[in-house]
Amino acid sequence: MDDQPSSRKKILCIDDTPEVRRLVLRLLSGDYVVLEATDGLQGIDTATKHRPDLILVDLHMPHLTGYEVATRLKSLLPQVPIVALTADVTANVRERALASGCDGYISKPLDVDRFPEQIAAFLAGAREQLQDESHRQAYQQMLVARLEEKVRELTEALKRNAELNEQNFQLLKKAQRQAHLLEAGARVGRSITSILNLDLLLKVTVDTICDEFGFYYAGIFLLDETGEWAILRAGRGEAGATLLERGHRLRVGGQSLIGMAAWLGKARIALDVGQEPARFNNPLLPLTRSEVALPLFIGGEVIGALSVQSTEEAAFSEADVVALQMLADQLAVAIKNARLLQDLEATHAELVRTKTFEAIATATGEAIHWVGNKAAPVPGSVARITEDVSRYLWLAAALLAEAPPELREHRYAQVLLQAAEALAAHGFSAEATRAELEPLPLKRLQRLLNVDSILEDLHIIEQSARAILSLKEDLIGPARQYRVEDVALAELLQETVAAMGIPSSIVTTDFAPEALRVRADAVQLERVFINLIKNAMEAMHEVKEKRLHLRVRPAEPGFVAAEVGDNGCGIPPDQLDKIWMAFYTTKGDRGGTGLGLPACAQIIGQLGGKIMVHSQVGVGTTFVVILPQVKPS
Amino acid sequence: MVKDAIKILLVDDEPLVLRSMEKTLLRAGFDVETAGSARAGRFRFEEARTDQAPFDLAILDLHMPNLNDQDDPNAGLQLLSVLLAVEPTLPVIVLSAFDEVSRAKEAVARGARAYFVKGREAGLVEIVNEIFNP
Repeated sequence: MDDQPSSRKKILCIDDTPEVRRLVLRLLSGDYVVLEATDGLQGIDTATKHRPDLILVDLHMPHLTGYEVATRLKSLLPQVPIVALTADVTANVRERALASGCDGYISKPLDVDRFPEQIAAFLAGAREQLQDESHRQAYQQMLVARLEEKVRELTEALKRNAELNEQNFQLLKKAQRQAHLLEAGARVGRSITSILNLDLLLKVTVDTICDEFGFYYAGIFLLDETGEWAILRAGRGEAGATLLERGHRLRVGGQSLIGMAAWLGKARIALDVGQEPARFNNPLLPLTRSEVALPLFIGGEVIGALSVQSTEEAAFSEADVVALQMLADQLAVAIKNARLLQDLEATHAELVRTKTFEAIATATGEAIHWVGNKAAPVPGSVARITEDVSRYLWLAAALLAEAPPELREHRYAQVLLQAAEALAAHGFSAEATRAELEPLPLKRLQRLLNVDSILEDLHIIEQSARAILSLKEDLIGPARQYRVEDVALAELLQETVAAMGIPSSIVTTDFAPEALRVRADAVQLERVFINLIKNAMEAMHEVKEKRLHLRVRPAEPGFVAAEVGDNGCGIPPDQLDKIWMAFYTTKGDRGGTGLGLPACAQIIGQLGGKIMVHSQVGVGTTFVVILPQVKPS
Repeated sequence: MVKDAIKILLVDDEPLVLRSMEKTLLRAGFDVETAGSARAGRFRFEEARTDQAPFDLAILDLHMPNLNDQDDPNAGLQLLSVLLAVEPTLPVIVLSAFDEVSRAKEAVARGARAYFVKGREAGLVEIVNEIFNP
């Protein structure tokens, strides 16, 4: 469009019908500059900007009508002639047009022959006049009515706008909330799926749900074995703790939301608004205004339900339920994992229990066998001594019976006779003894009855008792007081081997060049090595070329290792863990108490060290003793 | 049969048990010789036969050093077989700990006359008397 001032007159055509604008352009552009506007507002803007010499305005346009445009333009540009174009044939159109501010009236369809002349006439100053002022008044009333209508429309539009705004705002909020829910759900999911302790998992989950989503309360129910009850396993805060303490449970399929969710396998929502307001009357959760219960599934089977409660009415939207159900699904997976681990641990514990009972049974059997064997000779010896004493006393009584009466009065005789009587009172038969002893000649009598035999039997009893007492020594020996000093390991090992009379031909050594010293009671430590070396020698019993290998070496920083190795029969893997158990011995009743290795382990443990064994059947066994090193000062 | 004539070979590797049983049997009037292993037992058994003074009865522990002087829970069974191979009619009593009774019964199935659970030694004398004075 040409913005430059032009000598040609400018005509603005405001019409919403393209055909009319094209026709006007065709008819007038030869003599004038023709400007176009497609509606009233654009027409007003173009007119004020370009100040045309004549304005053609279509009376019937949407929004702002041609009348209104004319009225406005007349006040903005009072000198510019405005000519109405209209196909309206109703009465008084011309009057209304003139009343609105138009200066002329051309009816459509345009008369192409006359139209340029008509325009030229208006440009030359032709003006039509309104004869009847009542039309102007009618027009003003119509204008006011239109104004009112427009204001109403605008008000309505504004209201709708405000509603749309609110709607947009809610949508945005919802989207944000949903994003937050999903994000929180993912976060909760991440944090809980790594927890393998079931109780901790459930506790953390209810806390996290409340913290992350800002809910009032959350609780997790798991079904019992019968599937009839949903048992509360975790609950938020003090309310949760109290409910847990009370063993809170809800019947599956019952009236409760949880019971329904678990029964139907579907999320259940209860709000205290709407047609069927739920009553939230748990005194422990007085602020609850809405609740959602979500089923927990594992492999299509309901294992429990999650309850989430809010202090807001109708707090749970569909999006919330979707997000929470996602969370519930993750929770179910985590529960499954935790349960798997729990089962595994239970199985393991059961296995350990079985093994322990087995070991105790074995150990007890061994101990009883051992003690039984050691005690075996005691009853025989006691029986013989008892018999011997009764025989001696019978002899004394028999002798005194033949002695002169004054001798029987002697106080020694009194003692002996009393003792013989006392024996009789204990069921010893003097007659039986007489029958046994009287026929015997002196030599036989001497052989049968002598102090040496009594002393020997006492000795047998003493020895048996000592053997059994050594068991006690083995048991409590490690706990007795000991004297800790710096001990050079290599020296101690060599001395021990020499003292035990092990042939040096079978001993090989590998001692670290520096003198490695440990803090220990030398006597106790020697006892450990004696035990290990004895075991090694016994293991090599059937080996032709025995090899006892002793080694002292640095171990992990701050520790020294002493090794006693053999090329003997080795320990079968299934016995490896039993060798540390008291009374367990593979050596029958000659192998000692079976307390050797447990005692060794206890001694080494007290010194802050540890003892380990490596063994291979048919290859050999190496015991490794690790002790804290003494730093050379 | 005169009691003094009954000659018993007693084999056990626990010296105290061995001596106690020996004393009990001696006191009961038997003639007793002892050995501390299956190998020593077989040696005494064969020596006595060579001397024309064979044993009338053998009392054998089950778990002791065997004929090769190796610790062996079945050394008694091993010696039992050897003795019975030489002298099938020899009465043999097997000694067992209280918890080895099943193996002692097995020994009876394999030709031993009786078994005795170590402890009340008077019981052993009764068993011996039962064998010779049924």
